Amino acid sequence: MGTGITMSSASMLHRENDTAATVQHRCDAVSVSARNWGWRHADRKQAALSGLDLEIRAGERVLLAGPSGAGKSTLLYALAGVLDEDDETYSSGELLLDGAPAAQGRGLVGLMQQDPETQVVQARVGDDVAFGAENLSVPPAQIRRRIIEALDAVGLEVPLDHPTSALSGGQKQRLALAGILAMGPGLVLLDEPTANLDPDGVLEVRDAVLAALDSTGATLLIVEHRLEAWAEHMDRVIVLEPGGGIAHDGTPGELFAPGPVRDQLVAAGVWVPGYTPAFDPLPAPGESAALLLEATDLAVTRKRGARPAASGLDLRLGAGEAWCVRGANGSGKSTFALTLGGLLPVGSGTVLATGELAAGTEARPYHWRATELVGRIGSVFQEPEHQFVTHTVAEELAYGPRHAVRPGTREPLFTEQEISSRVESLLSRLRLGHLAEANPFTLSGGEKRRLSVATVLAAGPQVLILDEPTFGQDANTWRELALLLREELGRGTAIIAVTHDADFARALGAHEFVLQSPDTADAAAPADARPGLLEADVRGGTSFLGRANPLAKLAAVSLATIPLVASMDWVSSGIVVAATVLALPLAGLSIPRFLARGWPLLLAALFGAWGTALVGNDSGAVLLDAGIFTITEGSLSAGAATGMRAFAVAIPAVLVLFTTDPTDLANALAQKARLPHRFVLGALAGMRLLGLLIEEWTTLGMARRARGVGSRGSAAARLRANLGQVFGLLVQAIRRASRLAVTMEAKGFGTAERTWLRPSRYGLRDAGIVAAGLLLGTVATGASLALGTWNLVWS
Amino acid sequence: MGITHQPAGHKTATTSWRVVDIVIAAVIAVSSGVIFWAWNSSHHLLDVLFLAFPPSAALVSGMWLFPAVLGALIIRKPGAALFCEVVAAMVSALMGSEFGLTVLASGLIQGLGAEVVFAAFRYRTFNLPVALLAGAGAGLFGSVNDTFIFRWFPEYTTGMLLAYIGFMTISGIIIAGLLSFLGTRALAKTGALGALASRKAATEPILG
Repeated sequence: MGTGITMSSASMLHRENDTAATVQHRCDAVSVSARNWGWRHADRKQAALSGLDLEIRAGERVLLAGPSGAGKSTLLYALAGVLDEDDETYSSGELLLDGAPAAQGRGLVGLMQQDPETQVVQARVGDDVAFGAENLSVPPAQIRRRIIEALDAVGLEVPLDHPTSALSGGQKQRLALAGILAMGPGLVLLDEPTANLDPDGVLEVRDAVLAALDSTGATLLIVEHRLEAWAEHMDRVIVLEPGGGIAHDGTPGELFAPGPVRDQLVAAGVWVPGYTPAFDPLPAPGESAALLLEATDLAVTRKRGARPAASGLDLRLGAGEAWCVRGANGSGKSTFALTLGGLLPVGSGTVLATGELAAGTEARPYHWRATELVGRIGSVFQEPEHQFVTHTVAEELAYGPRHAVRPGTREPLFTEQEISSRVESLLSRLRLGHLAEANPFTLSGGEKRRLSVATVLAAGPQVLILDEPTFGQDANTWRELALLLREELGRGTAIIAVTHDADFARALGAHEFVLQSPDTADAAAPADARPGLLEADVRGGTSFLGRANPLAKLAAVSLATIPLVASMDWVSSGIVVAATVLALPLAGLSIPRFLARGWPLLLAALFGAWGTALVGNDSGAVLLDAGIFTITEGSLSAGAATGMRAFAVAIPAVLVLFTTDPTDLANALAQKARLPHRFVLGALAGMRLLGLLIEEWTTLGMARRARGVGSRGSAAARLRANLGQVFGLLVQAIRRASRLAVTMEAKGFGTAERTWLRPSRYGLRDAGIVAAGLLLGTVATGASLALGTWNLVWS
Repeated sequence: MGITHQPAGHKTATTSWRVVDIVIAAVIAVSSGVIFWAWNSSHHLLDVLFLAFPPSAALVSGMWLFPAVLGALIIRKPGAALFCEVVAAMVSALMGSEFGLTVLASGLIQGLGAEVVFAAFRYRTFNLPVALLAGAGAGLFGSVNDTFIFRWFPEYTTGMLLAYIGFMTISGIIIAGLLSFLGTRALAKTGALGALASRKAATEPILG
């Protein structure tokens, strides 16, 4: 980034002089001033902000509030210098940090966003804290000191090589804060840092933020929906006016005291401290409420054969009843909800529909077709976008009723007329009428939430299951949601809500279903503590090859592969396979462990051999005659050579895979192979999302089944369903990537120069490995030539 | 990069990559890896169909090529096709590919096939014909690589090899070209491409 280069060296020098000693010690707090400032995003017609005049003194702690769409996040991004100006954006006025344009202030400023998954850039805790400081070219020795201090300041007590993928949401946010502190910024910007966290996570992150600010004295600007936890610790609250300017500016005491200002804030949907939308208690459903769904001695799990996330669960759900499922993180709440919703198979025990819900057919919801499920049990996922399957709001609402069928039949549940009247009524009930033709993905957060509930209600399910429906919602959406669900209860719909929100449970008059926390012995090794999918195996990482430079390993494997590509013969292939097997101990691998990882390759090689044996040129004795295909001695030996070659090409890569950490590979590619580090580290950061995207793929499959998108049916229907799921994955992937890019840019990434905490080394061991690869390639070629089996593929 | 002033109304055609371009390209490639993985575990159903004439298996090879075209249509920067295809290949290698490290070389060559087409249009045109051509380019380069460079099918007759090239090129046109083009337009409608040069892809003329 052109602007980045000039600024970071200047500001860095300034920074080093003042804060060279430690991060903890007081840094130079930065002041903020906006003069008639405005901004319009490239893809919008209206300005996000305009005519903003604002002065924030150095060291002040400011809470930024306002209805959604008031441009709060835009202001934070502009201050963080991550709003890209191009020919389609529009800006006016000035936005200054300590008197200099904010666009050049990267490095002075740290930014944290709400999605914990995209606040982490690197695979290991220590590397992640170092990332920002490396980009600011802080010398490695100093970075090492800062890492310890920053982790200490946020109270994250994990080893430096701890995998970041194994952290909880609250821990990830504290890690992100540590990374910001290690940059030594004078202004800390937090964009709804706790919106995706449970109540314990909220306090955990808030306390870490306050403690860190107490020690550094940096200026704080925070955007939050839920003000309760933060308000009393702030010096000042600024409420933005949608369309431009400031609506209110004062101390928390002044603004939140009972009075017209407070009322105005409440009306705008701001979660003013101490405010909860009030509801009359609901009449209790009669004792005679018909039983709909019954779980008996249920154990739930996401993966067949894995240890259950929760077990011994019993629930009897009657019509018109509401249940709120609570429990600590990792207690299996969501898994329980998915199992009840017929989206996951039971681990053990039973989930059975009874009475009206069973309708005299199959009673196990998981065994219903998606089209049978959608009219009976509706599941609302935490992320609304996971459940969008069409291109307009109206179609979205019509989708469920159009695909719903009577249990056990293929007859549609609703007539066209019924469908359109249901759509009309939901559009008006949820005030989405003016958006009927809009693309669902383009709605605001609150609108998406309302729509996602409405789409599921549209098919008229008797049981409604919701996962954290109120996360990140403003008070108005919250109230509307509660009203809608209370109406449904009144109609006899049964509701199960997984929620930490006690007020919401109260508004629904819900019974509590509390899941036991996983016992401490199990908690020490939670299922997701395994390293990420792409991280080198622990044993592999410490082996002889694990400590070698990845480039040396790649070079060696390439050299050994050359004769295999060039010649189709079993001698050279056999030698490479034998050498690979002999080298297994160097990678810390035993043969069984190797087979555990490499069996698909063996299988593929066998398939290749079989195929060639079938279609290969026939010669010699006929061994098998199967109509148009014959297997002969000639074609069989050709098949064996093909299979052996395929196997020999594939397996040396396993040695590299098993012993190479992608982070080390990226370091080597950037430092030793001199590939541009922006591309190498960008690719690495993207790859870190792999595990997450695989999970997302599975979630999408379930979320779409809950909408009535079947995984069974004709080939064309399956193809459409699969393409839809691919599309859903790409939308989520691109959204996450955009947030990840903001995180990286806010951490100063993208400049021409940076320092490296972990230098990539190239030593004798590495030279030896390359030599061994060369030797292997030469021996394989030589032996094959000597034995007369050399068979050049291009001849 | 930073502030670039273009004449109003002219297509954004800055050739330098911003951080957001790099990261989104990488994540498109990584998602492609996930899609390959999902595809791998389900497409063996089709294998039966191809037994009758093995080269016809190339009809679904476009699956491996779409990251190149999709990446270039979304990112619209020089090298995007190449970068996305190579990173996607790297992801499949890391997840354990039956082609070992040669998958990197294949990725490079397939990506190049699409890249030359976008380059020929000077990275200014991203309409349907260009997308289809790029898909064809990726299929052509990829199949020639499979048949005549890596020689994965030494037992095929020349006719079968040519059929393989034809099938893979067609597959590239349909799966990598057409589906990527439609996908980009659908993605643009969701607003997810707001930070990218392709944000208006949905309203651009299909042929113009």
